[in-house]
Amino acid sequence: MSSYLVRFSVRQRVEHAITMVIFTVLCLTGLPQKFYGAAWAHHLIELFGGIDTNRWIHRFCGWVLLITTLVHFSSAIYAIAEKKIPLSMIPTRKDFEDAVLTLRYYLGLHEHAPKYDRFDYKQKFEYWGLVVGNVIMVLTGLILIYPTVITRLFPGELVPAAKVAHSNEGLMAFLVITIWHIYNAHLNPDVFPFDPTIFTGKISRERMAHEHPLELERLEGQAGSAQGDAHRIVSGHAEQDMG
Amino acid sequence: MRRWLVWLVLAAAALPAWAGLPAEEGDCLGCHGSDPDMSMDLSSGEKLGIYVDLAVFAKSVHGEILRCNDCHTDKNGYPHESKPFATRRDLTVAYYEGCKACHFANYTKTLDGVHYKQMAKGNRKAALCVDCHGAHDIQRASEPRTRISLTCAKCHPQVFKVYAASVHGQASAGGNPDVPVCTDCHRAHDILDPSGGALAVRTPEICGRCHTNEKMMAKYGLSTKVVSTYLKDFHGMSASLKRDETGTDRRSFAAVCTDCHGVHDIQGSKDPSSHTIQANLVQTCRKCHPDATANFPKAWLSHYEPSPNKASLVWMLQTFYKVLIPFMVGGLVLQIALHLWRVVVNR
Repeated sequence: MSSYLVRFSVRQRVEHAITMVIFTVLCLTGLPQKFYGAAWAHHLIELFGGIDTNRWIHRFCGWVLLITTLVHFSSAIYAIAEKKIPLSMIPTRKDFEDAVLTLRYYLGLHEHAPKYDRFDYKQKFEYWGLVVGNVIMVLTGLILIYPTVITRLFPGELVPAAKVAHSNEGLMAFLVITIWHIYNAHLNPDVFPFDPTIFTGKISRERMAHEHPLELERLEGQAGSAQGDAHRIVSGHAEQDMG
Repeated sequence: MRRWLVWLVLAAAALPAWAGLPAEEGDCLGCHGSDPDMSMDLSSGEKLGIYVDLAVFAKSVHGEILRCNDCHTDKNGYPHESKPFATRRDLTVAYYEGCKACHFANYTKTLDGVHYKQMAKGNRKAALCVDCHGAHDIQRASEPRTRISLTCAKCHPQVFKVYAASVHGQASAGGNPDVPVCTDCHRAHDILDPSGGALAVRTPEICGRCHTNEKMMAKYGLSTKVVSTYLKDFHGMSASLKRDETGTDRRSFAAVCTDCHGVHDIQGSKDPSSHTIQANLVQTCRKCHPDATANFPKAWLSHYEPSPNKASLVWMLQTFYKVLIPFMVGGLVLQIALHLWRVVVNR
């Protein structure tokens, strides 16, 4: 029996599951509106019961996204303020160095890949990409739902500008997720066919040693000094009832 | 031998032209062509004129082609029974099928038209073939072109008045052949019911037929990008996606050309009474967006394509994403490719 670590809390897993479903539905109901001229877009709209129902679903999911983004932000800020979680997702100078080193390693200019901590630079990039993207999508989406309210205070040009930003940012998010996230979570030879960690919360020690050695060293150092037992390690912000 | 045949065919083709009229005169018009006051009393109390002016019929499009009983198929000799029509309208309705034998395509089209649907519902005032085309005096309906709108005006005088004062109506009255008459938008035989969404959904296509015609629009200094810019906007996008929905409710439909520019009362964009002139624009937006304020009309780019000078913020965002998306996707794909390459090399 190989040992494993608990990497994601139940709450983080639920957040991911909600985001995954909402993101998928938003793409399915949003992209046909961007590509309104294409035959597939018309079929998809029809599948969702016409453009009015389609828009209702899209806006409902948008509101869910707004709420989950707000909850995520406020609880993160609270937890950071209370020092309950480390600032493991904040990009640091090391991430930029890691990115350069990783590319040099891929190109054969460096002996080995850099050692990553809890989140490597690719994961941070994706996280912040999603967070910034969510904020842009939510704000521009609100402008598009309430154009008359917005133009009471702001110039009218903000509405078509929001439409351009919403539609392009949405397309970019779709492309980044289908290309980058699907590769990293499914097609990457290291995890193929499927990386279950975000659903089970568990990650094997072997994978930790390979993908997040710095975090593993730190955790095993703490656990070793506390209990002298590194067989089952529970990180500081993981669930206690796992296993 | 062959030449002889050609002459025979030509002679046969010419035959009705000289042979037709005297025969009519001798048979039916012997009675029906002599007394202009000749009439029948119908049971409704109406008088039905049964005099036919040979000169009028001869000048009609059918004058040289048709015989009386080509249309009056039941009148085959003398004396003939008169059918017991209660009203003049009964007679007109009964003859509805009369044109079908020759004009089958147009007859079939009328079955899809709003007039036929009204008639089927029991509205006997709805227009039938002869109401628009006439009976013994049929002329080409579109000569001159302005005649078409005048024909519709017989039953639709209010709409005609509005149309006549519009930019299209005024130009049409002045003999301009470019502007639409009623049938250009509504069609002639298969006229769509304008109260459903079916006509509205076709509006961009209908207006676009002329307003995307480079040659025609150049004459008037009008942009041909009006349809493409409309389609790129939220309204156009919604209308495109609504197109395949059947039984569309007009109220839930995104604005089409006529919702902003007006229907029969369209004016040039510089006319002070135009719905789309700057001063009237908020009022026009409020038809659908009741809480629109002064800034709101600028949310619509007035058929302009974003450029550094027009809607520069929109243009900047467009350009930004045009660069960012390929850059982002290209970078990620490159990194994936490099990673895969490294995996292969390490094996």
